[in-house]
Amino acid sequence: MEILGPVLVAGITTGALYALATIGLSLVWGALGMLNMAHGALLTIGGYAAFTLATLMGAPWPVAVLAPVVVGALIGAVIYLLVAQPLLARAPRSFETNVIIATFGVAMALENAVLLIFGGQPFGQSIALTGHLQAGGIFIPWQNVLIVAVVLVLMAGTAFFLARTRAGRAIRATAQHREAAQLLGVPVGRVYLQVLALSGGIAGTCGLLVSSITQLSPTLGADPMLKAFIMCVVAGLGNLPGAIGAAFVLALIEAFASYALGARWGFPLLLAIVILVLIWRPDGLFGRAAVRRL
Amino acid sequence: MSRADRGHLVFGLIVLAALAALPFVADSRYVLGQVILALFYAIVASQWNLLFGFAGVFSLGQMALFAFGGYATAMLGFYLDWSMWVAMPVAAVGTVLFSLVIGLACLRLAGAYVALLTLAVAQVMYLLIVTDTDCFVMQGATCRQFTGGAVGFARFGDLGTRAIFKGDYVVANYAIVAALFLLTMGFTWAVIRSPLGLAFQALRDNPGCAVARGINRFSTQLLVFGASAFFTGLAGGLYAAHFQAIGPGVLSLSTLMFIIAIAVVGGIGKLWGPLVGAVILVLADEALREVGGDYRTLGLGLIIAAAMVLMPKGVIGLVESMVARLRPASGRAAEFVKSGT
Amino acid sequence: MAEAALAIDALVTGYDRRDVLTGISLDLPDGALVTVVGPNGHGKTTLLRAISGLLPTRRGSIRLFGRKLAGLAPHQVAAAGIVHVPQGDLLFPQMSVHENLLMGAYLENDQAVIRRRLEEVEALLPKLAERRDQLASSLSGGERRMVGIGRGLMMGGRVMLIDEPSLGLAPIIIEQVYEVIARLKASGRTILLVEENPARVADLADAIHLLDNGRIVWSGPPHDLLERDELLETYLGG
Repeated sequence: MEILGPVLVAGITTGALYALATIGLSLVWGALGMLNMAHGALLTIGGYAAFTLATLMGAPWPVAVLAPVVVGALIGAVIYLLVAQPLLARAPRSFETNVIIATFGVAMALENAVLLIFGGQPFGQSIALTGHLQAGGIFIPWQNVLIVAVVLVLMAGTAFFLARTRAGRAIRATAQHREAAQLLGVPVGRVYLQVLALSGGIAGTCGLLVSSITQLSPTLGADPMLKAFIMCVVAGLGNLPGAIGAAFVLALIEAFASYALGARWGFPLLLAIVILVLIWRPDGLFGRAAVRRL
Repeated sequence: MSRADRGHLVFGLIVLAALAALPFVADSRYVLGQVILALFYAIVASQWNLLFGFAGVFSLGQMALFAFGGYATAMLGFYLDWSMWVAMPVAAVGTVLFSLVIGLACLRLAGAYVALLTLAVAQVMYLLIVTDTDCFVMQGATCRQFTGGAVGFARFGDLGTRAIFKGDYVVANYAIVAALFLLTMGFTWAVIRSPLGLAFQALRDNPGCAVARGINRFSTQLLVFGASAFFTGLAGGLYAAHFQAIGPGVLSLSTLMFIIAIAVVGGIGKLWGPLVGAVILVLADEALREVGGDYRTLGLGLIIAAAMVLMPKGVIGLVESMVARLRPASGRAAEFVKSGT
Repeated sequence: MAEAALAIDALVTGYDRRDVLTGISLDLPDGALVTVVGPNGHGKTTLLRAISGLLPTRRGSIRLFGRKLAGLAPHQVAAAGIVHVPQGDLLFPQMSVHENLLMGAYLENDQAVIRRRLEEVEALLPKLAERRDQLASSLSGGERRMVGIGRGLMMGGRVMLIDEPSLGLAPIIIEQVYEVIARLKASGRTILLVEENPARVADLADAIHLLDNGRIVWSGPPHDLLERDELLETYLGG
């Protein structure tokens, strides 16, 4: 029990973080059919944005916490306007692959910009709770509780937004049938812009949370992004609830594998499981032939 | 022989002449070294281009294949004292087998899934190598991991050119690399114009239609994935033998990105695109180094994004459309240039 | 003749490099139901897509109550008052019937107006009220068609374009669909209807246009067309 506890806590915490990362990825894939390879860089920048305000400029924490949301949303919007929109307009048929390459370039440029500005040495994120909670012999750091709580609130908020609001319904409509949405008066370009900004804002927040239990480094977002992608894939790309479920399950498996076999075997085992699942079900666990649905 | 083939051949002969003349023109060892590097990049990029630009396989695991060939060559030399000339082809065959395992696991899936899974495979390979800390053999007082760990392998043998040509060995190595490059291009050309190559292009242009006409997408793509892995692995082996070193750095994302940038800038789906792209990007890389090496990755990233958005058909596509616009009357000449590159 | 609600003049449009419509002119008078018939693949759907802005107008003009539509994006055409009920319904499969209807009222911000339209639509199409919370993907073909029409009505636009409302339905369901269309006409709506079989609209349409190979080859009252055996034979296979 004294060993299982921390592994469980770590697994659930990283599961929550992966789940948050998959939300942004799934939204963008679902609405535009776009794999945003710069998503990881948005995580990184979110972490550094909060760090800049809180530690370097001494801003109060409520301001510093908003910085990743704003910066992430802005960069997300710029990525749409400068990269995705022209690619979509020019060659819609090869958009799916072209945009992966283009955003891959954006990701490297952004990551390198962070490296040039802040240097490669790791920083600690100052916005974090200290202390821990003790429940049934298990120590749970307050920061981990906070992370899970924030993720749950954000997930509920996103779900409410998509299901109940006019803008959210328009996003789902665009994802399910773009042309029909246009005929009903939905300005699809603006919906895409909103989706990328929303996804960027969530990514920024996710980056802040990740950095609060690890450290800030220019490659902060790369690992969560790749794993989040893998989780989206296993659930079927664009399947939001499926991806969130997969994130928690796979994060727990990874945590136990890392504990039992050593940290270096966590990711390989994860990938092996994912590949086996995909051989069994090529469209993902919950996927259908056309998985671009929200 | 079709007009397209004639164009490819003419361009190929020009490249051959340029490659042959280069050692007499460029006497600096540094320049020759950079050209060798550019040729390695062009080889890997040409196979990525064959996969993506012609066969429609979006692999982000090409550097994993390159690294497999390089590491296998180095390890055969290091642990078993094999000659590089034996180790390289064996390693290349090993790379094909490795690629078939990856292909069997990933290629059944659709475009974006393939990209993510192959990227993940490369990333896992990188992580397993750099986090390897278990001692496999002791080398003097230092511990040596089976995979070489974060340091990699060095001093596992060379191409034998140093013993024969002494100071001019770089020229000999250059000739070997250039030969492999031409061989790779010949192979790529043969694949493109074979019935199989035409099937690939049918698959790429219209997946549904080609499948309906009886082309098995999966086995066709697996075949080209395996074939291209041979040359990618062989290039990796030659890379290790030429530099007499190999490390996990070849698996880094920035290396993969450099390869993709080459293909994109040159022109995806153009036979000679990777060579044109390699020349341009190695020159750009040199220029960025002058400005300050720190901006190298930043510049590369922006180049990829900008090239993809502004000239999706690359430099070759740009030249083609410029020629087509300049000479609307002379349709034949435009067509010749169009098919020639 | 009443003032034309929708006036199309010498319209040329197409896909890629090919012109599909090579100069179409027709008027849709306010309050009328005009039908375009013709063989499949000769541009009937293309015409509706061009009006909606899904296809660019290459030459010619499209005017809605005098306002130019050519060059507007689809969502702007919708805002101008064109209701396009597309071929094959194009419902949002993972949304409930109710949500599909709400999407129809996307451009309307007044909740009271939306509620009133919902009541009207559910009164006209009572099946939709029964199926309110069911996913669109779980409906039968006839029910989907009704949702498609209902969603269009929720837009509250002045001019409706209805593309092959009989497509893929059993004869008895087709009858029901045309009953609904007849009631729409009776309530004063202006409708441009695409249909394959002129007999179905004989008693309903004010005018009929025969479209073949990108051109209108015959126009007149529906019963005149049905008496012209040689036209039916040539263009509609008897």
